[in-house]
Amino acid sequence: MRPPSARVEVAAVNPRRGGAVLVTVLVACVLLLSAQAPSRRGRGTVLQAWFLSLSAPVAAAVGSVSHSVSGAVESTFALFGARSENERLRRELDARERELFRLRAEALQRDEDRRLLGAGSALPGVVGSVPILLLEQRAGSHSVLIGAGSADGVAPGSPLAVPAGLVGRVVTVGRGISSAQLLLDASAAAGARIARTGELGVVRGDGHGGLVLNNIATTSSVARGDLIESAGIDGIYPRGVPIGHVDSVSRGSKLFLEVRVTPSADFSRLTDVLLLAPSPATKEGAEAGRSAAR
Amino acid sequence: MKVRRIALLLAAAAVLELFVGRSPYRAFLPVDWFLLATAAVSRSGDFVRAVLTGATAGALEDALSQPMIGMNAFAKAMLGYALTIISVRVVFGGAFAVGAALFVASIANEAIVALLAALLAQAPVVIFTRGALWRAAATGIAGGALESARNFPWKEWWQRRRLRRLR
Repeated sequence: MRPPSARVEVAAVNPRRGGAVLVTVLVACVLLLSAQAPSRRGRGTVLQAWFLSLSAPVAAAVGSVSHSVSGAVESTFALFGARSENERLRRELDARERELFRLRAEALQRDEDRRLLGAGSALPGVVGSVPILLLEQRAGSHSVLIGAGSADGVAPGSPLAVPAGLVGRVVTVGRGISSAQLLLDASAAAGARIARTGELGVVRGDGHGGLVLNNIATTSSVARGDLIESAGIDGIYPRGVPIGHVDSVSRGSKLFLEVRVTPSADFSRLTDVLLLAPSPATKEGAEAGRSAAR
Repeated sequence: MKVRRIALLLAAAAVLELFVGRSPYRAFLPVDWFLLATAAVSRSGDFVRAVLTGATAGALEDALSQPMIGMNAFAKAMLGYALTIISVRVVFGGAFAVGAALFVASIANEAIVALLAALLAQAPVVIFTRGALWRAAATGIAGGALESARNFPWKEWWQRRRLRRLR
């Protein structure tokens, strides 16, 4: 065997050649980013949609293995102290049953109120439940990869929710998986209203895991604990879905209050989310985009 | 490092990212596996391969989780070069040094992506979040642990263990 030559060794640690490659790669990245920046308009790129479609089988396979492994780990831990857990769960179940009874009564009352008032606002249509494959938080950006795509009826702009509240919206759709932006994302926003007073505002993610309600006038009587729900004025999210509760109210700029909101949905424990039907405005936008592309 | 090994490293990073991402325990393991793959290549001292590995790893990460492809590719290509300089020029080693370097690299990655997002997508600049610091710490700890496992004299340890048993 021939020993490796000194020339090869020098090439391997040559920072000048590496610098040239670095500059080329950085320029390519900037060009790629520039090509995507103006054409985004809130939707993902075709390149990303292709990649998501290609990676769907791998992501689904790895996701199911991960799910099984975590399930097995959980079952092993569950074996220990199963008796006390059982007792606790029984007590919890009793409490939950009482809570369910109360909530059912409240829901029936609310439905009746809605019917009587004739508001006519349709409840958000739940398309189905989808698993979360990946949850990413980076530089204020909070996104998830969900295990459903165009083949399952997912469309760009479809809202995502859990029974506790609103979660976010689908941005890029592949065939088998899609990526979505969470409400916590620093560039996410949703039209919102204070359920008690009916005042409208805009809820934005602060990038740190909380939400901020903007555009609430200083004359408002908003108070700690008030429920914030989606207003249905943004053309993306349906009306009446809980977003969170007011955590603190302080004087912000001259005209508006600074209202911090604690999200209703527990974003740290998301495993499956409900896919809601996209609003008509989003559908029209998507169809217009498709015909323009054609 | 051979190209086949680099490809294997990147595939392993992608699989681990998805594996941990699907798990309900992901909040405890927010390790930047793609950064670890880039650092592993940088450790070999090959600037070209470190930069290209960083760019590929970043592009993969972008395609999986970012609204625009190229931001992490940009950051990780730079970090690949910087980590190679550190591994070639700076004479220090050990698990703590590697862990600290990866902690700083993860924060730098976060900062570069935040600045690019602010420049190109008009997103607000968010860098030092609790999540980012925890992610950097987890990446540093994982890198340090891998480095100490790599340097551990497994062969001698195994032989000593066998001798002890024979006695």
